[in-house]
Amino acid sequence: MQGRYLAYMVHALKLLLPALIPSWEFFKAVEPSPRVQWRMLSSPKDQAPPWQEFRPRPAKLSVFAMVGRLFWNPVWNESLFMVSLAERLMLNPTAHSADEIRYRLAAEIDRTVPGEKHRKYLQFQLIFVSRDENGLTQTITHVAAPCLMNDIAR
Amino acid sequence: MTLDLALRTTEILLALAFLQQSAEHIATARRDRLWFIARMICCLPLLAGLQTTAALGALAAISLFQLHRFQGPYNGGSDRMSLLILWCLLAARIAPDLFWQEVIFGYLAFQLTLSYFISGKVKLLNPEWRSGRALQDVFALSAYPVSESLRALAGRPRLLWVMSWLVIGFEVVFPLTLLNSSSLIAALVIGASFHLANACLFGLNRFLWIWIAAYPSLIWFQGRLLGADL
Repeated sequence: MQGRYLAYMVHALKLLLPALIPSWEFFKAVEPSPRVQWRMLSSPKDQAPPWQEFRPRPAKLSVFAMVGRLFWNPVWNESLFMVSLAERLMLNPTAHSADEIRYRLAAEIDRTVPGEKHRKYLQFQLIFVSRDENGLTQTITHVAAPCLMNDIAR
Repeated sequence: MTLDLALRTTEILLALAFLQQSAEHIATARRDRLWFIARMICCLPLLAGLQTTAALGALAAISLFQLHRFQGPYNGGSDRMSLLILWCLLAARIAPDLFWQEVIFGYLAFQLTLSYFISGKVKLLNPEWRSGRALQDVFALSAYPVSESLRALAGRPRLLWVMSWLVIGFEVVFPLTLLNSSSLIAALVIGASFHLANACLFGLNRFLWIWIAAYPSLIWFQGRLLGADL
């Protein structure tokens, strides 16, 4: 028990260290940018419906909305966390990143598309957008296994 | 600005920023609600100036939980700055004497200066930033622009070249503004405007509030260095 507590503390301090001695290299280079897509399936071998983008951004945002978001912007900040999780999943894959993406996707589906509840399985994929000599290109970098919605703790 | 006033102002601004962040967390993730309610409760004495050392200690303990819960920062740089301010304030409050208080709070001011200078330096060294191409990519393909209409700015390379150099110039020159109190205040106003623009265009609202929370440390630090009291 003590050893587990000690390991927990050491791990937390390791995570804290980059905040106490930060690198501050914001936007050193513009790396390929991830998008999270999802779909619901009736069974893992179901004929796959098309992928849907997680929270596509609005076509336009009024100045009034931008000012409001200075004070209240929870959904956007959660979307930025999803971007971090997608990047982590590619650089240093852990169960935490995949579980966290599933948890937030499931909560969003519960909230915004309850009609999808008749399908029991959630699946997500990651697409990275980058620029090459032909313009913008999209590459699928990760396709997660379908997961039962009921197994996602929320 | 005296050290006491700078510490107190930073505590108030940090508490306000944490209240805002915590309310956002509570709105989005049900399973984290208890921790963020506890965090909001700890912010209240910090805001009121009651038992501030204990409140900072409790917030520091919660910050370790957060790091474990999210396996790192939730919102990248803004969370890193939040942690830096929090732990520097706590260390300054429990420091054995004035000398160590000044060293610790001076470290926060130093890191704030570096936050601008280093991000300017890495851009200056990158040819894509110097040509404006990097900022074009930020608008064209990154996840940051808050609306699709903003992506159209990627098609205005001259404007983005000017914007890139304004950002690089401001960030690289920032440490020199410490030489004079008026230039520092002007730089902090420009800095806050820069964060405001990032908040509007890229939705990075947490950066705005948390960077402003660190500003009193620099105002105190500059006065301490030059012997002036703003």
